[in-house]
Amino acid sequence: MTLFTVAWRYLQGRFLTSVLTTVSVGLGVGLVIATVLLTRGIREGFIEGATDYNLIVGAKGSQTQLVLNVIFRMDAPTPNIPVGVYENLRGDPRVEVAVPVAMGDAYQGFRYVATTEAYFSPFPWRRRAPALSAGRFFRSDAPGKPDYDAVLGADVARRTGLKLDDRFFEGEEMTAYPLTVVGVLRSTGSADDRAIFISLASYWEMNEISRKATVKPLTAVLVRLKRLSDLPALHRGWNIAPDIQAALPTAVLLSIFNLLSLVEDLLLIVLGVVVIVVGLYVFVTMYNAALERRREIATMRALGARRITILAIVLLESCAVAALGGLAGILGGHGAAYLGAHLLAGRGGPITHVFTVSALQPVTFGAVVVLGALAGLLPAVFAYRTEVAENLAPL
Amino acid sequence: MLALLAALAGLQLVPAARGEEIPRLTFAQLADSMRANFGLTQGIMVLSGREVEIQGFIIPAGPPDLSFFLLSRVSGTGNYCCELPSGQDETVSVYAAKGLSLRYDPVRVYRIRGVFEAGHQADRSYGVSFFRIRDARVEEAVGARIFKVGETKAPLNP
Repeated sequence: MTLFTVAWRYLQGRFLTSVLTTVSVGLGVGLVIATVLLTRGIREGFIEGATDYNLIVGAKGSQTQLVLNVIFRMDAPTPNIPVGVYENLRGDPRVEVAVPVAMGDAYQGFRYVATTEAYFSPFPWRRRAPALSAGRFFRSDAPGKPDYDAVLGADVARRTGLKLDDRFFEGEEMTAYPLTVVGVLRSTGSADDRAIFISLASYWEMNEISRKATVKPLTAVLVRLKRLSDLPALHRGWNIAPDIQAALPTAVLLSIFNLLSLVEDLLLIVLGVVVIVVGLYVFVTMYNAALERRREIATMRALGARRITILAIVLLESCAVAALGGLAGILGGHGAAYLGAHLLAGRGGPITHVFTVSALQPVTFGAVVVLGALAGLLPAVFAYRTEVAENLAPL
Repeated sequence: MLALLAALAGLQLVPAARGEEIPRLTFAQLADSMRANFGLTQGIMVLSGREVEIQGFIIPAGPPDLSFFLLSRVSGTGNYCCELPSGQDETVSVYAAKGLSLRYDPVRVYRIRGVFEAGHQADRSYGVSFFRIRDARVEEAVGARIFKVGETKAPLNP
């Protein structure tokens, strides 16, 4: 009979305690894994969905709100800006591309995004240009003569079941303006997957206020510069205007990451406490087991077992519980992260690459086994020191 | 153990033994190096291909992992102070070898070290630039002083 078999039998002998200890280790490890995977997934989601445009020009207010709404389709849109801002930027010799964007209401929770054909153009500097999986892009129709064509993001098509040539609307006041699906985009892993794209002319005609307005409204303008050295000047130039602001999308994301880091630091402290509590629980369990088993240990010693053998058996028990709990925790943590990511993505949150295999899994597993060994060390020493004569005395 | 200590001591001695210092560039020098026809002075061209150090504000103009960003003489924030930045001589395109794990602060001065490149170049992703630093290493420059155009220049160590 090997040492491991003896340790395993001991664990089986205390089945309920062993299972509960393993479960508590698993819960602690699962919590660590799920938290790390989700925070990393959110960060990756923001990076993946980041725009290739250098500047976002919109109404004065929160830069974070402007970027979150225009790029990630989160939060409420910032107030409208006049279409003249777009025309001004389009005529700026420093600007290579200016793309107007107007954020509308939603169909089944998927937001209307009004823009021009330029939004889909495969400029060489784009990491991923939107591409069609079916149909065609809408045309930038003239104001007052909209076609009411719509291009659906991949998630929209999948979740609403809309197909090419389907006509749809939501809300009583929209019955006069049904949109027709003319195209479906391939999945890009960005917020474009969850948007319904329409032309600006359609957007302005569907809305009662903008229909009558002589100066048509926009939410923002995406700007790409010819030379990045002009970025500070253009950025500053728009920001000294009283009612318009220019936001650097990457700077806003980095500020969000800074906040996320604070949350991660806080979570790290909480997780540290969880690890200590789980470690203590393993220690108490193993210590009680060693106490209860003094007579058995003395018997083994009397039959010739060496002190070091007793020490190894208790350590093996502790490590086995930690290893089983660690394995269950890693698997459970991945499951919890998958569910969390699914829920978050369903609400339009940016999250991706949750299941990336990295050093996290082996390092966590190794750390849990080491922690288990440490937690079992004192009980093992206690068992190691068990005196035969004292503990084999008649009961 | 002794071998490890010897190796560590050797590492510390290497820069001093070579007697090389990394030349410190300033934005004032970059401004002075540019001629009216966008040519560059020989003084700046000799540094091209060499490791240099420069300090400035980070303007995130690339991906959020900061594998690319602009280094500017003035901060990207603060709309009511400092003169309006303009011109190719007031920004340096910085390419990090890989993404940086850096706590970005728009009003903090950072010290950049890397291989300097001078001259007009068009990048497919980031457009035209005159000054670039590649394989950049970034750290906060505590107590740094940023030179304005026309101020006394720091000595160049070619």
